[in-house]
Amino acid sequence: MAYSEKVIDHYENPRNVGKMDAADPDVGTGMVGAPACGDVMRLQIKVNEQGVIEDAKFKTYGCGSAIASSSLATEWMKGKTLDEAETIKNTTIAEELALPPVKIHCSVLAEDAIKAAVRDYKQKKGLL
Amino acid sequence: MGKPCHFALFDLQPAFRLDLDQLAARYRERVRDVHPDRFADAPQAEQRRALEQAAQLNDAYQTLKSAPRRALYLLALQGGELPLETTVQDPDFLLQQMQWREELEELQDQADLEGVAVFKRRLKDAQGEVETRFAACWDLPGQRDEAERLVRRLQFLDKLSQEVRQLEERLDD
Repeated sequence: MAYSEKVIDHYENPRNVGKMDAADPDVGTGMVGAPACGDVMRLQIKVNEQGVIEDAKFKTYGCGSAIASSSLATEWMKGKTLDEAETIKNTTIAEELALPPVKIHCSVLAEDAIKAAVRDYKQKKGLL
Repeated sequence: MGKPCHFALFDLQPAFRLDLDQLAARYRERVRDVHPDRFADAPQAEQRRALEQAAQLNDAYQTLKSAPRRALYLLALQGGELPLETTVQDPDFLLQQMQWREELEELQDQADLEGVAVFKRRLKDAQGEVETRFAACWDLPGQRDEAERLVRRLQFLDKLSQEVRQLEERLDD
């Protein structure tokens, strides 16, 4: 299958690959998976006192589209407030990366990872 | 007329625990009955019907012989099909999956065949454990959520074992 240039760029030069301490009270961790293709995605955010995401990291085991979707998600989340980050939609990710229909679920996985990370952070802070 | 159940095609009762040798033997028997050679002189409609039956038998056999596919099929029979594409949030299990994938990457980098063998045994044990739990709960009322969680785990483990096989082939070359 032909990947778009943007997918290849993120796949070859993934942004923000890494790991944060999940026990850190300022870190939110989203862990999601897609059983049909076996993809596993971890997305983490570090939030400052103003409620702004100052850093984001990810690690994804999966296809190029899944890696690109999560890489792009971390780029877009940095500098955003939690509420802003939660408005990132899979359709926007899919559009930016020009994902073909069979790979749309990779962007859905990234959106679900964002939501899971924000929820984890809010739970830690007693905001939910 | 509705499609016959995959199990019924082989005179089996729907169950997760299956004798795979028996299944294979019955599959070969049934497929022989509809082999194109037997219908070489038959009217076209019959030939077509035999081909359709062979395709149906093959589809049923492929579904039943794979543990995760059989498990998905049983749940579909019982309470409706599960969505193909879905996001699973099963944090502890997914965390372990991620650790195992990291380990597998290291084994690949070190071309550690012995390590791969150990990894494979552990994976097989994990599959066996999830299968045992699934077998015990899939047909119990009130256990649907647990059965769905377990079948998703089986899918991840199955995918991982495919990757282990591919790694072994690469290391063998």
